[in-house]
Amino acid sequence: MKILIIEDEIRIAKRVERMTKEFFLNTLQKITSVQSLDEGLEHIKNNQLDLVLLDLNLNGEDGFDVLKETATGSFHTIIISANKEEALKAFEFGVLDFVPKPFNKERIELAFNRIVKKEEVGTENLQFLAVKKRGGIHLVNIDQVNYIKGAGVYTEIFLTNGEKELHDKSLEKLSQLLPKSFERIHKSYLVKTTEIKEIIVKTGSQYAVELQNGEILPVGRTKYKALKEKLFK
Amino acid sequence: MKIATTRILIVFLISILCVSCSERNYFDNGETAESFTRGKTVYRLGDDISWKNTSVNDSLWAEDITIKEDQIFWSRTDVEIIKAPDKLKQYGIILNQFGEFEVFWDGVLICKSGDPNNSLNSDRKGKMISKFIIPKELSTKGKHKLAIRKSIHFHLDYNQFFYFYIANYDQILRGDLKSMVFIHIFAGAFLMAALYFLFLFLSDRKSFTTLVFSVNCFLFFLLILFEYVRSYIDIHYSNHHTRLEIIGIITFLISVLTPLYFSLQFKFPKRTKILVVYTAILVYIFFREHENHDSSAYNMVVFMWYVSLAIVVFGVIKKMNGAKIVLISLLASIYFNQVINYDISIHIGFSVILLGMFYILSLRTKEQRLAYENSLVQSTRLKLELLKKSIQPHFLMNTLTSLIDWVEEAPDKGVLFIEALAEEFDVLNQVENETLIPIAQEIKLCKSHISIMRFRKEIDYLWEDEGINENIEQLIPPAVIHTLLENSITHCLPSDENSMRFKLIAFTTKNTQEYTFLTFGNIRNQQKKTSDGTGFKYIKARLTESYGDDWTFTSEPTNEGWKNTITIQK
Repeated sequence: MKILIIEDEIRIAKRVERMTKEFFLNTLQKITSVQSLDEGLEHIKNNQLDLVLLDLNLNGEDGFDVLKETATGSFHTIIISANKEEALKAFEFGVLDFVPKPFNKERIELAFNRIVKKEEVGTENLQFLAVKKRGGIHLVNIDQVNYIKGAGVYTEIFLTNGEKELHDKSLEKLSQLLPKSFERIHKSYLVKTTEIKEIIVKTGSQYAVELQNGEILPVGRTKYKALKEKLFK
Repeated sequence: MKIATTRILIVFLISILCVSCSERNYFDNGETAESFTRGKTVYRLGDDISWKNTSVNDSLWAEDITIKEDQIFWSRTDVEIIKAPDKLKQYGIILNQFGEFEVFWDGVLICKSGDPNNSLNSDRKGKMISKFIIPKELSTKGKHKLAIRKSIHFHLDYNQFFYFYIANYDQILRGDLKSMVFIHIFAGAFLMAALYFLFLFLSDRKSFTTLVFSVNCFLFFLLILFEYVRSYIDIHYSNHHTRLEIIGIITFLISVLTPLYFSLQFKFPKRTKILVVYTAILVYIFFREHENHDSSAYNMVVFMWYVSLAIVVFGVIKKMNGAKIVLISLLASIYFNQVINYDISIHIGFSVILLGMFYILSLRTKEQRLAYENSLVQSTRLKLELLKKSIQPHFLMNTLTSLIDWVEEAPDKGVLFIEALAEEFDVLNQVENETLIPIAQEIKLCKSHISIMRFRKEIDYLWEDEGINENIEQLIPPAVIHTLLENSITHCLPSDENSMRFKLIAFTTKNTQEYTFLTFGNIRNQQKKTSDGTGFKYIKARLTESYGDDWTFTSEPTNEGWKNTITIQK
């Protein structure tokens, strides 16, 4: 586990660091703490990370610029902030959790557990998927997404307009962030259930779904039951 | 382009006025006599009762004679009645002249005013303006003779004036009444305005403009009274001169005050000089042809009109509030001058100008009210801003998080932290309702903030101050230095020894109070501009609230960190 803390309050940074160490124990490979956005962005660019703990209000600068950047990353982001009213906006960009200040050990461990237990965030707030595109960051509205296909450590996002975007987060991580309207139908596929036209049952317990646009995607044997339940409930 | 059109406008206005003035005879009562024509008037010294008769040969009488004090002399005037009075109507004659006299119409005594045999007449009953009936049988169509036997004691130099007018008797009586009623409505309005603005001034002694306006309204009220008093009070001719003198003085004062009032409303450069020169010229006009009262008054009013116009045009060019309306009212006064005879037009013209003055006063009152309301809202907002400093989530939640950590990790330090927090809240509570506090209290606030930040940031913050003197008054709006301190903590990095130093220097002179706040540290982000931030807005708004425009505030980086300077003019 490689973790970066971006926090300008030294005392709080130390507290977060201490609690992180206590939680992850020997699974923690590296923990770094920086005090400014610039240092944070620099670190993200040059290092492989699993988790970023971010304060949104740093020295009077707006942390959302960093948030857009981190949202495209392969790692999860947890916000630790004093401004609760920013929580909703943060979730729109796809953060795993928003820990309001002041926090205690239980609250921060709840957030860490989401990573370890691969829990779903269970919110409907994610609005955008931030993708890196032509050097800049492009926000893809969730409504435009048909389905997402896992491709190793990254994912391919298939849009309603037929285009395809690449995302640095794994299918695992995205499935944690995406709202309930997205269903994991296969180890490599996440589909928006409203896009499913019908379930095709083939011989030999082979399953597939046909989407509104005619595309056919495979359904995992273990996923079929859950999908059927969700669709016909 | 704009200047060119304005110039054309000014030339246009001046030419209109010149044309209108040149054609006016200030002594024209605007009469159009349909019933009679005036013939020649001739005079003769001496006294012979037969001179009243129509048949007397007056061809050798003089058109101009030198009269002597108390000596009886006669005048004979040819009058032709063009049209005999209608059935059941009777002609009357209105006479306006000096002296004690008897009037004969075709040899018949028709009226008497005072006693020509005793021109010193101690009871002074002789009227200057008198109205009498001409007997019906004597007002036939054709030639008639108006003979007057009179003597003068007072103001001999003013004796030549003689005016008469013949019309239906009821018309003569009513005509005067009509214009009087009309003009006295104005008089009442101006008296009320004068009193109202006087009370306004009494409740706000600083408002010089209101006083000028009030006095001007009152003078105008007096002017109307003195102008028309002759219509309802019998004035002996010896008092007429005094009345004209009073009217002259009132007109002079109005002519001084009106441009003064405009200059207070539409402030133009070199005001005092220009107004002094203006008043000097006015004094010259006043004394130049002093005995020719109507002419002097008219010239003063016209001169006042020009100067007022210039001031108002300046206001229009500078786009000052209300200037356009006043300009329109000034121009409208020319119109009244054109269509109505002088005596009345001057009052209506004045009334219109005064209406314009009313209007700008109402605009100013509105401006003042809005400014006051804004200042109230602004003060409340600043108070809230101050309170928000201690409860805004970024400050409070970060402080509480740090505090929890200190309590969990080092409870004894945690207690000190709580004490520091309590101290800052305490000082903030003390100053929240103030607009100015002693600098010592502000320093206390800063120090408590530093204590808190020391616990949060674990940086060694050091405070120094210089020039603070408890014995002299050194004031500052609350949380101004505190805001600068917050900015420094946010935007500066500590030195290599993990410390940051602040220094406040107070410099007090008789007229100024200067505060310099220095931060010694490394600036975090050189390019970032902070001058538009909410912190600076707060500081500027607070300084404006207490000192208006009499302050300056600069903020700039130095080699060692940051420097803020606040200078206040006391």
